[in-house]
Amino acid sequence: MDRHPSGTDRRSARRRRASRRAAGHLALNLLTLLVTAVMLFPVAWMVLASLQTNQGLLTGDVDLAHPRWQNYLEMWRNIQLALFFRNSLLVCGATTLLATLLATTAGYALARFRFPGADLFGMTVIATQLIPGIMFLIPLYLLFLWMRDRLGIPLLNTFPGMILVYTAFFTPASIWIMRGFFARLPRELEEAALLDGCTRWQAFWRVILPLSAPGLVATAVYIFLAAWDELLFAWVLAGKPEVQTLPVGIRLYVGQFQNRYDLLMAAGTAVSLPVLLAFLASQRYLIKGLTAGAIKG
Amino acid sequence: MLQAAPTSPRPAIPTWRRRLAKGWRQHGLAYGMIAPACGLMVLVHLIPIAQGIYLSFLKLNQFTLTQFLDAPWVGLDNYRAILLDPQNPVRAGLAVAARNTALYTVVVTTGVLVTGLAVAHLLNRPFRGQALVRTLLLVPWVVPAYVIGILWGFMWQMDGGVINRLLVDGLHLLEQRPHWLTGPNAFWAVVIPTIWRSWPFVMVVFLAGLQTIPQEYYEAAAIDGARPWQRLWHITLPMLRPLIAVQLLFQLIYNVYSFNIVAMMFGNAAGYPGEWADLLMPALNRQSFQLWLFGYGAAASVLLMLAMLMLVWVWYRIFKVELVNP
Repeated sequence: MDRHPSGTDRRSARRRRASRRAAGHLALNLLTLLVTAVMLFPVAWMVLASLQTNQGLLTGDVDLAHPRWQNYLEMWRNIQLALFFRNSLLVCGATTLLATLLATTAGYALARFRFPGADLFGMTVIATQLIPGIMFLIPLYLLFLWMRDRLGIPLLNTFPGMILVYTAFFTPASIWIMRGFFARLPRELEEAALLDGCTRWQAFWRVILPLSAPGLVATAVYIFLAAWDELLFAWVLAGKPEVQTLPVGIRLYVGQFQNRYDLLMAAGTAVSLPVLLAFLASQRYLIKGLTAGAIKG
Repeated sequence: MLQAAPTSPRPAIPTWRRRLAKGWRQHGLAYGMIAPACGLMVLVHLIPIAQGIYLSFLKLNQFTLTQFLDAPWVGLDNYRAILLDPQNPVRAGLAVAARNTALYTVVVTTGVLVTGLAVAHLLNRPFRGQALVRTLLLVPWVVPAYVIGILWGFMWQMDGGVINRLLVDGLHLLEQRPHWLTGPNAFWAVVIPTIWRSWPFVMVVFLAGLQTIPQEYYEAAAIDGARPWQRLWHITLPMLRPLIAVQLLFQLIYNVYSFNIVAMMFGNAAGYPGEWADLLMPALNRQSFQLWLFGYGAAASVLLMLAMLMLVWVWYRIFKVELVNP
């Protein structure tokens, strides 16, 4: 039979191989489904728990049929969540704008110009990422304290102080993302603009910048995600409720109302929403921007 | 007799000024473009670092804090206390935190890179909904780490927590409900959420990398009869080497400086998870801003910075991946 394969045997062998491959595909698809389900379970549980009574959560009587939307109203009353929300939006929004702006020009200069000190600047930008945050935090706190007491410059417990620190903090990584983005744009674009009589600045401003929208979006969203999550600096540099951001505000809440998990989960869901929406709206650019930078350096 | 100096038709412009002007014409735009970022980094990075190194030589606590410029100089005493003094409670706390952080960093980084690579392989085949799955897997990466700390702190609860309910009541894997947030289990209570949160991003980077490997390599290897693990070892890993190197470095830095998840998960205990899960960043933060031992905190930060520089040097010696101008 092996030496004289008939038509039916060959056909059945092909069918067997095809069915084995189909089974393999099915197994891989099921595995993918399982991985996705396990990954999403905690997030789904957070949303689900935010719609339960606290008593139900503690005893295990989870009632799926009657979601408690009141939790989303009550959470604003227990702590000054709305105030912290506003503070976070303000600080993170201003930081995103400023850091994107600074990273765009500096990233372009690093990608396109050879100038004395370029390597030193690039190295410094990377080196800042190696240094423990607490290393800046103690001196900055003392510096801000000193500036307030001796010079009368209010940077401690104020929005300008936080925005200044955050912008400086998130600019280096953003410079690196933008540099990678600009390095991948063809140089001919600027050369054509220069031939048409543009100055280098005009070539950047009129030709390159409009083409950079995807990179700008990726960088801005990245900064926003990072700033929205910042706790260590906010904790120390914003000591008053009027300027405290969400992580600090909710931290106080975790300590004081440790038994209200229904409200905590509602607040957790609510504060994740802005970054989730920003991510979903920009995910095509964000993933491309961050991974391409990682691949091409 | 003195000879008269030859008179030139116009006074010579000094060469340094001419060079400066030329340099400005050539590079002025570049310097102008990096100037704002440079100024900010000097103000918020370089000056504080210099100041931090200076502070580490001072006796700095709540009494000397506001006049820190006049605080007593103690030389290397802070360093000696942290590194050599067995009686010092600060040293004991930092030693535990350093040990935990080292272990945590190794376990999390390994977990993140291995899971990331494995799932990147799983997704690196054409199937319907690939983009959707990739987006969904990234959701935990987008949820803020401090929310993840609160969420998992709730999920790990011994009685009310969903994890024990699944493990004990649902799947009957365990007889008794374990304590997750106290005792040795607390280490895993911070490791697992960190891995859960971090691997999707690494997976997405690796997936993009896998898609750049030419398919012909695998076909040629298949003709030569290479087994799957041989293909992984001889084709995939070498091709992904630069990516793996950079992600490894990012993970090392990110995990050594991990703060939010631990600080939030143990919120009820004022952020102190006990000796099993105390990491360096929360410990240093407590030393400095709750116990007001700023001198120790600054000295420990300097030591940590030096340790990181050495780690990166070793990393560079192994991988030789140029970060500045690849």
